Amino acid sequence: MSALIEFDNVTYAYPLPNGGRIAALREISLRIAEGEYVAIVGANGSGKSTLARHLNALLVPDGGRVTVAGLDTRDPSHYAAIHRTVGMVFQHPEDQIVASLVEEDVAFGVENMGVPSAEIRARVDEALEKVGLWEMRLRPPYMLSAGQQQRVALAGVLAMRPRCIVFDEATAMLDPAGRCAVREMMADLHRAGLTIIAITHFMEEALDARRVVVLERGRVVLDDPPETVFADATTLRTLGLDLPPAAGLACELRRYFPALPAGLLTASALIAALDTLPHHAGEIPPVPASPPASPVPALIEVRDLGHTYMMGTPLAQRALESVTVDVATASSHGLLGATGSGKSTLMQHLNGLLRPQEGTVRVGDYILNDPQTDVRAVRRMVGLVFQLPETQIFEQYVGDEIAYGPRLQGLLGDSLRQRVRWAMELVGMGFNAFKDRFTFALSGGEKRKVALASILALRPTVLLLDEPTAGLDPASHREVLAHLQKLKETGITLVLSSHQMEDVAALTGQATVLDNGRSVLEGDITDVFAHGERLRALGLSTPVVAQVVEGLRARGWTLPPGLVSSAALTEALSQCLNGSNGSLIRSFADS
Amino acid sequence: MHEFEFLRFVTIGQYLPTGSIIHRLDPRTRLVSGLLLVIVLTLTSHGAGLCVALAALGILLAVARIPLGYALKGLVAPLPFLVFLAALQVLFGPRDAARLLVVWGPLSISTTSLLNGALLIARFVALILTLSLISYCLSTTELVHGLDALLAPFTKIGLPTHAFVLMVQVTLRFLPLLALEAERIAKSQASRGAEWGTGRGGVLRRARQAFPLLVPLFLTGLQRAENLALAMEARGYQGGKGRTSLTTLHFRPADAVALAVVVGLAVVVMRA
Repeated sequence: MSALIEFDNVTYAYPLPNGGRIAALREISLRIAEGEYVAIVGANGSGKSTLARHLNALLVPDGGRVTVAGLDTRDPSHYAAIHRTVGMVFQHPEDQIVASLVEEDVAFGVENMGVPSAEIRARVDEALEKVGLWEMRLRPPYMLSAGQQQRVALAGVLAMRPRCIVFDEATAMLDPAGRCAVREMMADLHRAGLTIIAITHFMEEALDARRVVVLERGRVVLDDPPETVFADATTLRTLGLDLPPAAGLACELRRYFPALPAGLLTASALIAALDTLPHHAGEIPPVPASPPASPVPALIEVRDLGHTYMMGTPLAQRALESVTVDVATASSHGLLGATGSGKSTLMQHLNGLLRPQEGTVRVGDYILNDPQTDVRAVRRMVGLVFQLPETQIFEQYVGDEIAYGPRLQGLLGDSLRQRVRWAMELVGMGFNAFKDRFTFALSGGEKRKVALASILALRPTVLLLDEPTAGLDPASHREVLAHLQKLKETGITLVLSSHQMEDVAALTGQATVLDNGRSVLEGDITDVFAHGERLRALGLSTPVVAQVVEGLRARGWTLPPGLVSSAALTEALSQCLNGSNGSLIRSFADS
Repeated sequence: MHEFEFLRFVTIGQYLPTGSIIHRLDPRTRLVSGLLLVIVLTLTSHGAGLCVALAALGILLAVARIPLGYALKGLVAPLPFLVFLAALQVLFGPRDAARLLVVWGPLSISTTSLLNGALLIARFVALILTLSLISYCLSTTELVHGLDALLAPFTKIGLPTHAFVLMVQVTLRFLPLLALEAERIAKSQASRGAEWGTGRGGVLRRARQAFPLLVPLFLTGLQRAENLALAMEARGYQGGKGRTSLTTLHFRPADAVALAVVVGLAVVVMRA
């Protein structure tokens, strides 16, 4: 096969305001053949996005040479042909949409090619059909979900009939259903003969590719099939990456069940491998009777909450409909739901940003229906961390940013210092090391921690987190998760919404599932994730442990349905596997 | 409690696809008509003409199937400002000795100045309603196509009309996004103890309060602009040269009728 894209010893450095340059790509050589499916992974700052921008001449190399279909990207007369050959779908759905009508936006690229109107029409219709959005062609893009917007962006690229499409973290901001739809489309396009290049922070998405390129500080350190790249967890970790969740679980299970083969990367492979182990239909361990409804009143109590945005205008939009939620003191509660299901609206009711239009909200002793309630006191008690909170940082120095809230509360001098120090240490940032750092110069993960600390500095009793790990690279993801775990142990009540089912399983004890503004399922996290089928119908998914349990149960294994932790799964599996000969199972006590 | 719904009070600049006869006209017709009305309303000095215009706008809103209450809501925000301007006009306007009603030192009120004040309010109300009507009936896409077609002749004399039109398009697309962003940032700072909508504190303090809102808004605005520029470049945008268009505009008999009606209205407003 001929190389479609060829990097020959490419170096690139970003210019700095002070005249210096910061190296982003160092001597990269890479050949991507026509029809390949390549994933590019790496920690933040590894140069993934810079590399992506070299793929279609958005950036041109300082040294070395990039050719696309034989055309040198440094020659501006090639730009039009290169943009036509290599299309690109970006991370933020709403930022890449130019026009205010879906079909107009899909047409934008083709219009740039100077194709006659009738031909544009035909191509736009074809592309919209392909991404399944033909019915939406006359809608304004902002009325579409994030997943649909990404498909609009993809249609815009497809209409130009490229030979290669680059997805630059295109699934990072999507809910499970949106992510799944985009992934399926990538696979379809690959089957149709297109070259697909996926840049991603999600390791399970890298598994879809036939080849994984790992970058570290601007260099290619691994370039192998996924089976090879994901064989060694230790190396991956030092590169700031992680195993795909199913592979991580398989590794853990292998410590107890050495008979499992190595190299299991997906849930289905793991299920199939487990199923080949000799097992018996052991009795289902009795499910511990769920404790009777606690007599203590919940800390947060939401009853029949309804909310309409822009009420009384033609743009009125129903966001919540008879939602009921209970959150116990010092518990951690997950909110699950597809984009637009009302999670954010519900959260904003819990700290008084929105007042109930219908139904009641009580938080601690505060009744939010009562107009006399001191909203500022409620907000002090309940801290809300918005999605991508780092975009709201406004101070120049880390210390000032975190001190903003406490200062408004009237803290001064030493007590203010103490408070800031305390909050920074909660998120693992040394006070002296970080307080005088420039906020804009921090990495994505560090900014996220500053934003988190700036809320914690208010010493809330309840912490609301909207997508706390969205858009982070695997290493920062792991770190933020660990800090939230620690935070839980301090007795703070957590309410978090997330599209990452693994995070929800790891952090929360109870969960409420929202669908179209209604609360449709509530209970212990294990009960909620036992409803795999139902959750998928709602555009959600389940953590990998629950997927494995579901798959094994479908094959006749007698496992209890509600398992979300690997420890619980290990224990349940050891009941079922024929371990009498002692070779198959290493007991817990040994390990 | 709607203190954070910034979009709620910005009824101008909002497209409402009601599918009325007006919505089905050629975008060029709607643009030219709207522009003509705006010019006439600005220039006319006749009270009667303004009254006719206000009545006509009421009818046009009904024809366009826009709820009157919604359109009037757009007046709420600028109203205090208008009243203030009118008061200045009434108190400090040219002294008409023949019709003096009240005099306090340098200040005076005469029937002429009262009339002028009323005219000022009527003029601005009519202008705001006209601009709102244009935005309700003209989607940004249509605006862009209309402008593009109307300005096309100027490219012949070397003006970068296409770049201008694209700038308009992107601005219009990003305004609601920025409003939402501002809402999100305000909410987030409120969660950190900032006071919004309480109206306390002096000018300086309130200016300082705006800081936590403006800095992130500005930064995310820049970020978005950069993202959009990249996305456009990736889709082969290199200026208007050689660009074709998905839609072609058609001037129909209904457009001629509508233009005639608007020109008639304009004459009445100027002459009445």
